[in-house]
Amino acid sequence: MKIARSLFNGGLVAYTALFFAFIYIPLVVIAVYSFNANPVNMMTWTGFTTEWYAQVLGFKTKVSESALYIESTGQLLQAVWNSLVIAASTTAIATVFGTAIAIALYRFEFVGQRFYRVVMFMPMLMPDIVLGIALLIFFVNSGIKLGLTTIIIGQCTFLISYVFIVVSARLAGMDRTLEHASADLGANEWMTFRRVVLPQLFPAIVGGALLAFIISMDDLVITYFIAGVDVTTLPMFIFSMLRRGIKPEINAIAVMMLTFSFVVASLGLYLRSRQK
Amino acid sequence: MSIASRRRFQLGLLLGPVSAFLAVFFLGPLAIMVVTSFLAPGLYGGVEWTFYPHNFGRILGFADPMFEEFDPIYIAIFLRSIEIAALTVLATLLVCYPAAFCIARLSERWKNFCLFLITLPFFTSLIVRLFVWVLILRQTGLVNEALLSTGLIERPLDLIYTKGAIILGMTYVFIPFMFMPVYASVEKLDWTLVRASLDLGAGPVRTFWRIILPLTAPGIAGGAVIVFIPALGNFVVPAVLGGAKVMMFGNLIEQQFLAARNWPFGAALAMMVMSVMLVLMIAHVVLSGRRSAAAALAR
Repeated sequence: MKIARSLFNGGLVAYTALFFAFIYIPLVVIAVYSFNANPVNMMTWTGFTTEWYAQVLGFKTKVSESALYIESTGQLLQAVWNSLVIAASTTAIATVFGTAIAIALYRFEFVGQRFYRVVMFMPMLMPDIVLGIALLIFFVNSGIKLGLTTIIIGQCTFLISYVFIVVSARLAGMDRTLEHASADLGANEWMTFRRVVLPQLFPAIVGGALLAFIISMDDLVITYFIAGVDVTTLPMFIFSMLRRGIKPEINAIAVMMLTFSFVVASLGLYLRSRQK
Repeated sequence: MSIASRRRFQLGLLLGPVSAFLAVFFLGPLAIMVVTSFLAPGLYGGVEWTFYPHNFGRILGFADPMFEEFDPIYIAIFLRSIEIAALTVLATLLVCYPAAFCIARLSERWKNFCLFLITLPFFTSLIVRLFVWVLILRQTGLVNEALLSTGLIERPLDLIYTKGAIILGMTYVFIPFMFMPVYASVEKLDWTLVRASLDLGAGPVRTFWRIILPLTAPGIAGGAVIVFIPALGNFVVPAVLGGAKVMMFGNLIEQQFLAARNWPFGAALAMMVMSVMLVLMIAHVVLSGRRSAAAALAR
């Protein structure tokens, strides 16, 4: 019995190791092969090079003079810039709105709280494509020209929910005796909010904002439908490259995006989980 | 100002702008989509303001006899999408369930670290994570190159652009969606009940089916719903890993909007996905309500 149990436990640990391997080994593979010098077959190792990175970052390389040159470095940089502008704007709007709803739901009593909660969870459950086409129909019918503005508005509709969830989790777990103490000691509501509630809430707000930023940077589906013809974001750029054919430069772009997402998301998740 | 009216003013300030924003740009568009699905398609890509149920007819079998024919291809693609989404649910469950038991027993610190590692990929670009699988699965990809160089196969296998590739890609993408709810119920599992069952003579297999599985069922059901719905409407995974060979409902919707320009029909297709979602949600709410009622009675 004892042997059977330790065998079972060993199997479970091995299974979990495989589980993490399944998640992370593909990402390690792409990181390694992004340094592969082989320009034709990306998965046959022929030597180490940093050329693809140099290429993407706009340096002059041997490739840029050869036939394999990717002509679209300018487009790529434009796409990165668009993504950053969109992410910065949506994060600002979504953070304010998401925090406002969270505070309203957790510090006030009013009719319709359930309704707001349902609305906040809807974007999480709906398939992206449904919201994407609904927004497309709406924008075209209301005569708003598709472009940066429509992308920013469209992304906000679901990013508000992400900020709301992070901030409201913190509000629900907060010790309210501190607020009562502050009120008992003579601070008015605004003072209590600014000096007691906000400092406790701040890590969650920043965490929610960072996660919103990274989700905005990575969003493909909704943006794809409401971007119009003139604006391309970074995920859209990669999506269209994948449909046209793969070049080694995508590897380098992908690894840079992964690194960026990992750093920002780690910071956001850390701030979200911090309880003190 | 009285306290009550001041509170009301504060609440209005908090909720007013965001409510207006969501009403106009979130609920409004969804309502317009519902309306559009019942309008007639115009000749050059617009809509005509007449009630026209045949968008749904084209999918379900009562097509407009004047202009269109009923084509069972739509219902076939719909059923295939349901099948792929269901298999994705099954695959993510098989991957996540045992791992949840292992991670639930770790120390607090390791637990949090593991949860962090599982959540992290959710925040990395979907398209990048799928691109990795293109590199691994395609004709000149990692797997084929490795098998060819060892001489196990003579010509590359068709790994990409198959149903299996789509399910693999979806599983990879949806792991965090399944893991979190499953893990939450596994962590809450009352092990004294498991020990009691074993002490009373039930074998490990019986204990699993009669005690562990029913107690973790709410997490499994929750995970199944939040994996199934986005998998059903997904169009990026089939576009990248299914190519033109394996089409899903999401690709069909995309085509209607960006290529065929029949928006009412596209909206009707999207409504099909929404209706499946609503049925699942209602079933989930009813079942979990019944479960908690039963639990309350049992106490």
